[in-house]
Amino acid sequence: MSTPLIGVSKSILKIKELINHVANTCLNVLITGETGVGKEVVAQNLYAESARSTKNFVKINCAALPETLLESELFGYEKGAFTGAHKKRPGKFQTADKGVLFLDEIGDMPMALQSKMLHVLQSGEFSPLGSDQEFKTDVWVIAATNHNLEESIHKKTFREDLFYRLNIIKIDVPPLRERKEDIPSLLEYYYRLYKSEYPDNHGSKPDSDIIAKLCNYPWPGNVRQLQNCIKKQMILNSWAKIIEELPQEHPESVPQIETDIRMNGAARPKINEINDDRTSIISKFVDLSTSSEKLFEDISLKKIKKLASDRVEKEVILFVLEKVGWNRSRAAKILKISYKTLLYKMNEFDISPPVK
Amino acid sequence: MEDPSRLLIVDDNEDILSTFYEFFNSMGYEVKTAVDGFAALKLLRDKSNFFDCLITDLVMPNISGVGLISIVKKEYPHLKIIAMTGYGDQPGALASEAEADVVLFKPIDLFKIENTVAELINQAKDNKKK
Ligand SMILES: Nc1ncnc2c1ncn2[C@@H]1O[C@H](COP(=O)(O)OP(=O)(O)O)[C@@H](O)[C@H]1O
Repeated sequence: MSTPLIGVSKSILKIKELINHVANTCLNVLITGETGVGKEVVAQNLYAESARSTKNFVKINCAALPETLLESELFGYEKGAFTGAHKKRPGKFQTADKGVLFLDEIGDMPMALQSKMLHVLQSGEFSPLGSDQEFKTDVWVIAATNHNLEESIHKKTFREDLFYRLNIIKIDVPPLRERKEDIPSLLEYYYRLYKSEYPDNHGSKPDSDIIAKLCNYPWPGNVRQLQNCIKKQMILNSWAKIIEELPQEHPESVPQIETDIRMNGAARPKINEINDDRTSIISKFVDLSTSSEKLFEDISLKKIKKLASDRVEKEVILFVLEKVGWNRSRAAKILKISYKTLLYKMNEFDISPPVK
Repeated sequence: MEDPSRLLIVDDNEDILSTFYEFFNSMGYEVKTAVDGFAALKLLRDKSNFFDCLITDLVMPNISGVGLISIVKKEYPHLKIIAMTGYGDQPGALASEAEADVVLFKPIDLFKIENTVAELINQAKDNKKK
């Protein structure tokens, strides 16, 4: 059974009404919104209200797979299409035939695959890897993304023609902090659900005071984060503790945080951490506490390069000298510089053996 | 006297919408307006045989003009459709693909569009007589 779209806010009511009016049109849909707002729930509700609900709902996450795998997942392959293709395998376009193909994180689809997607959407035909035959497909394409695709088009990471072809019906799901009225009903719904799943848990329902506090939190992780809190309550039974542990971040910086599995196999560090790291490095060489006018005067790449390399050189020289008991000719050999250069540098960096 | 022809005009720009409204009203049409495809669809579902011609912008929130045209072609095939586009040729091409009767590029000359509307509606009436 699919999740009902819970909420009483104007935007959720409008989305429900829209779903009701377009569920049987089979027109391409683009669902936008931050991670965890319920884009997939909207897609499932479109499917459930359509005449296709007796057929398959097939989901694929375009951000989670490397390009070649994503391609073979979408289009399938013939036996022998590539090393390891021991037997023919149907793609999502085939398994979703007559049903719904939900393309999650479409904004992360590589450009080359975007062209192929466009071709299928235009012609209604696709060809599996290693096949020169085109097959008809009748899928209802519902795509979702947390990117602003207009910006991606600008940055040339998303095809404009594909955007217009997907954007026939556009459903934007606002972040939870912009529809706080939905929080009490979501709390109620998921509290009951988890209680029925784990009747032995004793987490109490939130009282009006707690609900007010929860409504005031910005929920950077949206409904998913709210769900996690309710799950935690089932075990901890302490709303006070749960509220205390909610991360206090600036809501603006959070939607930017995405994990890009394709790029590095692990979650990228948070933007904040990168920024902190950066300022801490720079502050070693220039005084960041001055006005930006003075600061810009002080910054010179050449100067900073010299300061930075001097600093590292000094540490490396000290490190090696200490290792070899201040034997300078050995140190010079290890550092692969001449004895004379070492003496010169020791003088420049004011390095001298510890006094015994 | 003949009944006035009935138009549904859809654009998310309220200035354009009111200009069109005033103009077609003064030319003797009965005009209804909608600010996006969804509002237009609700009007159409409410009074399915009321309108003679739909004039719609293409790039709009929720149901786009292209979406509206596709739905209208399927559910209300008698309705004549004029699409207006100001965004390069992508949406315009999609509107033609969705079988809009006429695709016009912005900026649009009001008298020219009125001519087009009159022609389309007359065609439809002639077809009915035959
Ligand atoms: N309006 C809603 N009503 C009920 N459950 C919701 C709602 N919005 C989100 N959820 C739940 O929150 C979680 C995250 O939603 P999901 O659709 O996966 O978000 P997205 O696809 O936008 O990242 C899911 O478990 C989903 O069931």
